[in-house]
Amino acid sequence: MPFTGKSGKFNAAIRTVEIGTGDKAVKLGGENVMPLYSFDAPIENAPKIGVLITDLGMENEVAGIKDYYAGASSFAEIAKKAEEMPGADFVVLRFEGADPNGEDRSIEDCVAIAKEVGDAITAPLVIEGCKNVEKDAELFTKVAEALQGKNVLIMSAREENYKAVAAAAGLAYGQKVGAESAVDINLAKQLNVLIGQLGVDPANVVMNVGSAAAGYGFEYVVSTMDRVKAAALSQGDVQLQMPIITPVADEAWNVKEAMASEADMPEWGSQEERGIDMEIETAAAVLASGSNAVILKHPASVATISKLINELV
Amino acid sequence: MTLFDVVFSGNDAVYGLTEKAIDDAIAANGADKAVAFPDTAYSLPCYYAVTGTKVTNLGELKEALGVVKSLMTREKRLHDAFMSGIATALCAEFIEVLKYMDGAAPYAAPEAGHLPDAAIRELGVPLVTGDIPGVAVILGAAPTAEEGVELVKSYQGQGILVTLVGGIIDQCVEKGLKMGANVRVIPLGKDVTAVIHAVSVAVRAALIFGNIQPGDAAGLMKYTMERVPAFVNAFAPLNDVIVACGAGAIALGFPVITNEETFRVPKSLIVQKDVSKFNATSLEARDIKLKITKIDIPVAFASAFEGEIIRRGDMQVEFDGSRVDCFELVLSKDATEVEDHKIELIGPDIDEMPEGSKQSIAYIVEVAGKSMQSDFESVFERKFHSYLNCVEGMMHTGQRDMIRIRISKETYQAGFRLKHIGEVLYARVKSEFAAVVDKCQVKIITDPAQCTELRHSLAIPMFDKRDERLTTLTDEGVDVYYSCIMCQAFSPSHVCVVTPERLGLCGAVSWLDAKATNELDPQGPCQVITKERVIDERIGEYEDVNEAVKKFSQGALEDVSLYSLIEKPMTSCGCFECICGIEPLSNGVCIANREYAGMTPIGMTFSELASMTGGGVQTPGFMGHGKHFISSKKFMKAEGGVARIVWMPKDLKEQVAERLNATAKELYGIDNFTDMIGDETIAEDPETLLEFLTEKGHPALGMEPMM
Repeated sequence: MPFTGKSGKFNAAIRTVEIGTGDKAVKLGGENVMPLYSFDAPIENAPKIGVLITDLGMENEVAGIKDYYAGASSFAEIAKKAEEMPGADFVVLRFEGADPNGEDRSIEDCVAIAKEVGDAITAPLVIEGCKNVEKDAELFTKVAEALQGKNVLIMSAREENYKAVAAAAGLAYGQKVGAESAVDINLAKQLNVLIGQLGVDPANVVMNVGSAAAGYGFEYVVSTMDRVKAAALSQGDVQLQMPIITPVADEAWNVKEAMASEADMPEWGSQEERGIDMEIETAAAVLASGSNAVILKHPASVATISKLINELV
Repeated sequence: MTLFDVVFSGNDAVYGLTEKAIDDAIAANGADKAVAFPDTAYSLPCYYAVTGTKVTNLGELKEALGVVKSLMTREKRLHDAFMSGIATALCAEFIEVLKYMDGAAPYAAPEAGHLPDAAIRELGVPLVTGDIPGVAVILGAAPTAEEGVELVKSYQGQGILVTLVGGIIDQCVEKGLKMGANVRVIPLGKDVTAVIHAVSVAVRAALIFGNIQPGDAAGLMKYTMERVPAFVNAFAPLNDVIVACGAGAIALGFPVITNEETFRVPKSLIVQKDVSKFNATSLEARDIKLKITKIDIPVAFASAFEGEIIRRGDMQVEFDGSRVDCFELVLSKDATEVEDHKIELIGPDIDEMPEGSKQSIAYIVEVAGKSMQSDFESVFERKFHSYLNCVEGMMHTGQRDMIRIRISKETYQAGFRLKHIGEVLYARVKSEFAAVVDKCQVKIITDPAQCTELRHSLAIPMFDKRDERLTTLTDEGVDVYYSCIMCQAFSPSHVCVVTPERLGLCGAVSWLDAKATNELDPQGPCQVITKERVIDERIGEYEDVNEAVKKFSQGALEDVSLYSLIEKPMTSCGCFECICGIEPLSNGVCIANREYAGMTPIGMTFSELASMTGGGVQTPGFMGHGKHFISSKKFMKAEGGVARIVWMPKDLKEQVAERLNATAKELYGIDNFTDMIGDETIAEDPETLLEFLTEKGHPALGMEPMM
């Protein structure tokens, strides 16, 4: 008797959220199968890749990244290069320097950079903050206002500041809201519910359910994503059907495998290679666990993950 | 004249004026002449929101007036009065928009008139987050400029956005008050019709932030009522037009507070003769709760100070409930009995107490709130320990009437006095329990005679009453249980079902705690579980509980029993205070608590037992639970109850002895049941234990086999 495979597609689906405008707008989510299970049913929107740039420029980056951006000095030029990176779907601008405990860049300066970048590129833009909840709330409000009409994704609204961020991005200025929670399905769901109660349309919400570099408590991330997707698809939980975006670069390049110098760890080989490996491994794993988009920064990682996605979906 | 007559006549007057103004404008400019407010995408925002129709020229404005006329029905019913109020507001909007014809700028600083959309978006965000807790619309001139400015400043100090219409503007100018959007005081205009610019803010907030569709008048009114915390302060004298506008405000859900003796409508039209009380009356009427961001004390307040020890030599004064009469108490009161933020000291303050002396103290925190329940009193009270310990240079131990407090010399020298205890308790209770506490006041008593009196007449009876409630609180006596999924971060499929007689296995979440958590954080980890469809009374299995467990475990758990160790036992996350497990030889169970490091007769230590009990899986024969559950009548009720307990560590046995013995006496008529239970000093292996149990005649030996 011939084997007849049974399709594992679900009646429920992940919501499709579009970011950006025009030809280069990207759609996240929309699938009704487990992550990358394109053999069960077609996955309309393959996972997407965002390229990370920060307001701190290139100074602290590894040689491969510096080389790629060589010649680009203004934020507009850097953003343009990021957009053109082979495999890139969107650009992510992170305001690391806004942190009051760091460079404490003023809101006005950040807004100016955001506008410069927003005007320079045609690819969709995602904004990340500095992780200080008060500063981020103010920063996101102003950036969301300045980038009206560009349909950017503002990451992230967290439990502490979701009201300000979601009200500004999702209600006042018509942007997309990234709901960030810390590796816990219940917190993720609770935040989605709360943002919904503010009046933000769930179709405008993307989740960042938390991340870690592979090997650093990563099983929590995998388990959370697994369970989110299972609840969204098999149980039809509408509060968990938002697509997932996962910032990988921040985590992967900040662990000792990526940071230890070759002088300290000669037996580990090239530092840059290690960072790329961490970034690729982490990205591949979160894609397999259910991320609809990953944020990377090294051109080699972007190329590899892009190839992986193209082969699988 | 009735209130209806006043509203109708005011409405008619404004309608007449509006009709004439529009006709005159058409006569002068023709019907095609464009009319619009500047910098808005919402046309005439109020008219557009109510009807869904955009007005672009004078001819359309005239048509719109016809629609307004249709609202002006004259039955003496509340609905008619509200609609006439809305009609009055819309007329005001028409009159105002005419002022903007030909790109005119009818308002000059400080008056703002129509606010652009950008300003609404900017104000809308802090309104949504609660950083602007309310919007005050002040109309007319205060009895004196001082009183007017005082009122404005009082709102300003609370972060409330103040809009001014009419005489109050000149009063503020006269007193040199700084005004403008950046200081949250916005003068709109001197004509009463300028009040529409305040209404326009509320209406556009609903369109922008509430996704209200233009034309959905019912949705609009629901949104403004529930989400826009605005209210009106209208100063005497009121004329018909103002009253008619007021009816419009009330229709949107905004109460009107006035100092004129006029008609009263409960919660909507409120007479407050004393202008200095406008603020408190308005906040209460609109149910505005202020965020408390700062605790007003002269020393630091942080969890870093929680473990601070104040030694005898360092202390300025000590309050010691074990020696003199002291207590701490939360009481729920009626709203009329509580004056918010009132802190009262009865008796001497610290500076009148000898250094190093031992004193009496009693503090009573009285709270009122629409959702407050007396069951929450003890939940709040238990937090006092942590609140007071967070004060730099203050140490608090114990609870109820067995408290001890030390205040250090440095803290005293920094200016800390007893009223500051009140400030801390007030600020923390108001912010942490904002969902249920509307008003809070604190009484601090140091007069020894009164402390003694109140301890015996008020506090002890209250504590007794609560204990009584706890002991009479049974699983059968309540309608709902609660889930607790606080631990799912690390134990993803575990769900605790918390019942009055079975607290969470961590020992930290009782049914009352879960109930309070649910009330305070309705989306949080504790959700209501009904228990209407019983499957098996004996093991405590319900269809609704099973459904809830399945839902909250994301399908990992199908069914669970509340009272059985063997059949579908409740799962454990890993935070359990104790584990009980079957000891087959004696036909009973052994219990090990987390603190016990030794061996049990089961042949496993606590950690070894924990490794097979946690993780949200059902392991028949093994179960994690809280210490309090040991003496519950529901403890493995399906297998015969506490009579199955054959062994537990000595320390644990001592901790639970009193209550466990009472339960055993009640269930089986056995005296001093704990004497029959083995411990590590008697046996660490099953054979020796069995000998001991046989010698004592332990009831488990005669019970049916468990498996």
